[in-house]
Amino acid sequence: MAAAPNASARPGDGGSASAEPLLVVDDIYKQFETPEGPVIAVDHISLKVMPGEFLSVIGPSGCGKSTLFNIMGGLLDDYQGRVSVAGETVKGPHASIGMIFQEESTFPWRTVIDNVAFPLEIAGMPKAERHDRALHFIDLVGLNGFERRYPAELSGGMRQRVSMARTLASEPKILLMDEPFAALDEQTRLLLGDKVVQIQQQLQQTTLLITHNLTEAVQLSDRILVMTYRPGKTKRIVEIKLPRPRSSEIVGSDAFGHYVAQIWNDLREEASRGLKDDESRRAERRR
Amino acid sequence: MAQTGHLTAAPAAPNIWAAMPLKRRVMWLRIALLVGIVAVWEAVAASGLLFRDVVPSLLTVGRSLFDIVTKPDYKVTLGGSEIWIPEFYRHLWVTTGEVATAMTIGGLAGLVIGLLLGTNPFLSGAFERFLYYLGPTPKIIFFPIMIMWFGVGPGSKVAMGTISCFFPVVLSAAAGVRQVESVLIRVGRSFRLNSWQMVTKIYLPAMRPSIINGVRLGLGVAVIGTLLAETKLSNQGVGFLIINSYSTFDMPRMYALLMLLFMVAIGANALVGRASRG
Repeated sequence: MAAAPNASARPGDGGSASAEPLLVVDDIYKQFETPEGPVIAVDHISLKVMPGEFLSVIGPSGCGKSTLFNIMGGLLDDYQGRVSVAGETVKGPHASIGMIFQEESTFPWRTVIDNVAFPLEIAGMPKAERHDRALHFIDLVGLNGFERRYPAELSGGMRQRVSMARTLASEPKILLMDEPFAALDEQTRLLLGDKVVQIQQQLQQTTLLITHNLTEAVQLSDRILVMTYRPGKTKRIVEIKLPRPRSSEIVGSDAFGHYVAQIWNDLREEASRGLKDDESRRAERRR
Repeated sequence: MAQTGHLTAAPAAPNIWAAMPLKRRVMWLRIALLVGIVAVWEAVAASGLLFRDVVPSLLTVGRSLFDIVTKPDYKVTLGGSEIWIPEFYRHLWVTTGEVATAMTIGGLAGLVIGLLLGTNPFLSGAFERFLYYLGPTPKIIFFPIMIMWFGVGPGSKVAMGTISCFFPVVLSAAAGVRQVESVLIRVGRSFRLNSWQMVTKIYLPAMRPSIINGVRLGLGVAVIGTLLAETKLSNQGVGFLIINSYSTFDMPRMYALLMLLFMVAIGANALVGRASRG
């Protein structure tokens, strides 16, 4: 982190200093070899995330969203293009990027507080201090009182909040989330969305969310990037001009419905293409 | 009771067995089985049908057991002063030491190699086959080699215990590595753990159940390997005592030693079980 060049602190820039994007994804291309031939997962996608911005990437299943997530998080190499954070090219997992995964990812052998304190423990922070800091993030995700519990004693939504607190505790410049609420029911998802909005506003946390859920994307985002089905390209970028602070109550409003309809219009075509493709592949396999 | 008795009291009395909780019924069955075995054993012992002490009366066995654990017939010098203890404890100490050493060497080797095999497809592709072939082989066939390499003393017994416990530990560890949820490894990578932290903070804790299972199985076969080796060729250890009683035809003593060994084995297993829960 010490080596990060001060790209945003150029003299004479004045008030527009904050206009430097924090995360730049430049022309990413990734192809996988499969038994049925090469598949282009990500086809020349570029995007920029501004400091404090909440950007969602939405697309049908199989459009390469998760591949993009893994590339941005540095878990996947061997791709074309460039990912940079605050001007620094990312090679491998980066301290400025915090990841939250789709799957259940708490450590079942650690209590909530020790889960959340994990990145601090790795950084070599003494126990008392890291527990102190962990408490702050446990409080932030609203899990006070559960510090000494084990993940097995919590609900799915609570466990996902533990994962979130753990990643936030590493104080990343950018938070990357890959369908973090996919395994949860709709009501829990909406309420957790409120929590995410609240935390994101409070920390002014720059966030990139990968999702296939329309409501979630519109509820949370400043901008939404709609991806096409194979090859995964940028179909459209939609700016969500709903007022902030937002809560899940907005789901019922006309403006909200308008955005959902607009994005669904783009997405429907892609999703049905994906569905057909999937069906024909299954039919072929049966033969 | 007098007014309502004809409605409620009647059916409860005859079926005590069915009304009993399952746990209680299991306990009674166990007691019955034990009593049955003792009765048959004593009957055979008293009948005189079998040669002399082949089936000795449990009373004789009990007396022998009492002698083994209480009769001081061995001199040890402790800090300049001489004390007498039952010799059994010396032999138990020897065997325990051998098993503990075997568990340390074989267990650690198994854990490290299991981790390597589980995380490295190249190594597992090259070598894991052999482990599956060698795993079920009775290790006692290596005893002559071990005697040549490590002598007739405790060295060859430790070697037998070591190769016995190595296999279950290495195979459970390798399988355990593969059962670690891949997302936990990705979490570790995203927090930029180095290899050592990956092993100590993610793999080992996530593998705990398989490791404990491996250690449990390993302990069992380490005891078998060590004792078997002691009965073949040695001059100390519990295995030696047992085979010595057999060759001098001291059957009550042999049975008593076997019972003692049984208790020690149960105790050791309980210890591992407690460690796995704690």
